Amino acid sequence: MSQHRLFRDWFLIRRDLPQMRALFLTCVSFLLPIAIWCFFSYTPWIWHPDVKIQISAEREGITTVFTAGDRVSKAFFPEFAKAVRDENAKVLAAREAGTSESGAKRKNQKLLRQIAPIATIHQWIPEADAQNDTAIFAIWRDLAVGEKTATNPALTPENLKIVKQNWAVLSAISTEFSFAQLPDQPLLKLIPQGKPSNPVYLPAPDEVIRSGYRDFTAEVPAGELTMKERYLRSLSIIFRGFLWACIIGIPIGILCGVFDFFSKLFEPFVDFFRYMPAPTFSTLLVAVLLAGDAPKIALVFIGTVFQMILVISKTTRLLDPSLLEAAQTLGAKPRQLVTHVVVPGILPNLYNDLRILLGWAWTWLVIAELIGVKSGLTEFIETQGRFRNFDRVYPIIILIGVTGFVMDQILSSLHGVLFPWSGKPSPMAHAFRNFIKKIISPLTALFRRNRKLPETP
Amino acid sequence: MIDSIALPDYREKSPEVAARFERLVQRPVALEVVGLTKRFESSRGSVTALDNVSFSVHKRELMCVIGPSGCGKSTLVRILAGLESPTSGEVRVNGISVSGPGPDRGMVFQGYTLFPWQTVKENVMFGPRMAGKSSYSAESEAREWIGLVGLSKFENAYPHQLSGGMKQRVAIARALANQPRVLFMDEPFGALDAQTRCQMQAYLLEIWKNVDITIVFITHDLDEAVFLSDRILVLDANPGRIRELVEVPVPRPRSEAQLFDPTFMATRKHIDHMMHPPGQTQKDTPVMRLAVSDPDVI
Repeated sequence: MSQHRLFRDWFLIRRDLPQMRALFLTCVSFLLPIAIWCFFSYTPWIWHPDVKIQISAEREGITTVFTAGDRVSKAFFPEFAKAVRDENAKVLAAREAGTSESGAKRKNQKLLRQIAPIATIHQWIPEADAQNDTAIFAIWRDLAVGEKTATNPALTPENLKIVKQNWAVLSAISTEFSFAQLPDQPLLKLIPQGKPSNPVYLPAPDEVIRSGYRDFTAEVPAGELTMKERYLRSLSIIFRGFLWACIIGIPIGILCGVFDFFSKLFEPFVDFFRYMPAPTFSTLLVAVLLAGDAPKIALVFIGTVFQMILVISKTTRLLDPSLLEAAQTLGAKPRQLVTHVVVPGILPNLYNDLRILLGWAWTWLVIAELIGVKSGLTEFIETQGRFRNFDRVYPIIILIGVTGFVMDQILSSLHGVLFPWSGKPSPMAHAFRNFIKKIISPLTALFRRNRKLPETP
Repeated sequence: MIDSIALPDYREKSPEVAARFERLVQRPVALEVVGLTKRFESSRGSVTALDNVSFSVHKRELMCVIGPSGCGKSTLVRILAGLESPTSGEVRVNGISVSGPGPDRGMVFQGYTLFPWQTVKENVMFGPRMAGKSSYSAESEAREWIGLVGLSKFENAYPHQLSGGMKQRVAIARALANQPRVLFMDEPFGALDAQTRCQMQAYLLEIWKNVDITIVFITHDLDEAVFLSDRILVLDANPGRIRELVEVPVPRPRSEAQLFDPTFMATRKHIDHMMHPPGQTQKDTPVMRLAVSDPDVI
């Protein structure tokens, strides 16, 4: 039995897949989690243990208020709707018996506002007008006479009937809103409506995208930071912390790798210190460096520099010792050995180490931003998470992940550009290098010509 | 086979060769080794790698050092280059005692040891740059040496783009660019395939002819040693001692055709017997029978 060649040779032990297949699988590795997320979010009969309320109502004698957007459990929702229906039945019965209680004007005003979520979703009224009673009154009229029809979500026939019944009572007094002319007797309440939904911690992809878009484009009140400013502030903390770690860590690491003296002097303590978690110093750092960015930068620094010293000293020791011997037989002095052999020799590996260590520094971002005065993206995550607005939290988490990932990819593709001799450069790296060469070669030629003059007799 | 052919005594020299050796020993001594001893101390006791080794190499001489593995020939050359220090004894270059590595003694390693981050040209410039020459004069010098080893077309290539033979030529050019008194070569062609190795030997003789340089060449290859050298220093193992200093009676200039010259074969045989005494050769081992072997064939 022969298989189609598309299905053959996907599973070969220790053999690389062709480029197209590798690329395909790379895409799938990202699409698969998204597909699973969509599957759980958009298939109504999968999971969906809650009901997300679209139209809500207040119940007599119960202080718990559910508003549109809240979630209640699937088991509780029918009970909630039934209670409202029972109250409506009582109102109707009292109205027929002529025993309706009066003094319900204020209650009726609140009741009319139940339609507001439907009106804002359909963009009949702007969100700011959700308590504008004149506008809301007009919506009741339009729905009752059929001038407007709710489509997403549609009103149930039961609710549409209530809208018409209420409009009949309202229009009998006045067709324009005025508080004084609201009926004195209770109106009927809209029956709660909702759709199956997942718990609040698993918002659907479209909700996350929409919230993310809104948060990143929204105008913020004066004095608060825009998302872009928060983002840049977070990045600056990471990079400043990492930069300080590099300034201190790289020279010490190289010295430890080159001279046993420094290795024995520094490494035992560094090895011990790195086991103390950096966050344990957070209160100390705030006490010493006070509020502001300084303690945050210091935390990233402490979390990174000790690893850096150990990793770089190890990388330095891995340099082929025969290169040092060769340089010695060519007359290199100890100082020249370090500057002309050790440093250029370890650069490609050092670059890779720094790439990995930068990833390490990222992990300290959230903790660093929590200490002292909360700041940056983490402050936003903290605040929104506390309000359980997880649809606004996820975009930030994803943003942090994407930034780290993209940065690492860029840095790793630059490896070929910076160190063409350490392997075969990628086509992109090659093109980039030729471009740079084209710019630099006229300059060096000029430089050389100037140097030449005094030497020729 | 070689035992069955009647060969002349290896000590017999043609008048021409005898005259050459006379001229050679009259030249000043470039490298003098006096009573060199190296002991490695370990927890299990001490091992003597070199025991009281003394010899001298004349200017413009090409001397090979050969010996069974473990005879300390690598240790010897590392001490001569200053990369290791002897337990006792002395190394003199042009009559001056030296310790530690220096630009007066160049070295070519078996593992190429080119700096991978530098182009061919930059590698060759390394020595002159370390000596403080300007990059312009170092560069023009480097070009000359690269031309000498025939790699002008590759001066801007990186080592990883070159073949093994080319890398070793760059390493030779790099060592020569420093203009050392003596050039040490530690099995430089050991990692190359047989054909490239022959080419490289011819190259080396060509370079040696054109450059005023004294060479001490470490090898374990008999043909290589006889083909290249004026004199061969044969070492014994455990402890490393000088067995004999053989004067090679093969006339120069050398060519591959001389591999079957009676004087060449006689010298080769003599050294071979010193390193592997005839009684010690292993008898043929019986054929290992496999379960599926056809008994008639064996």
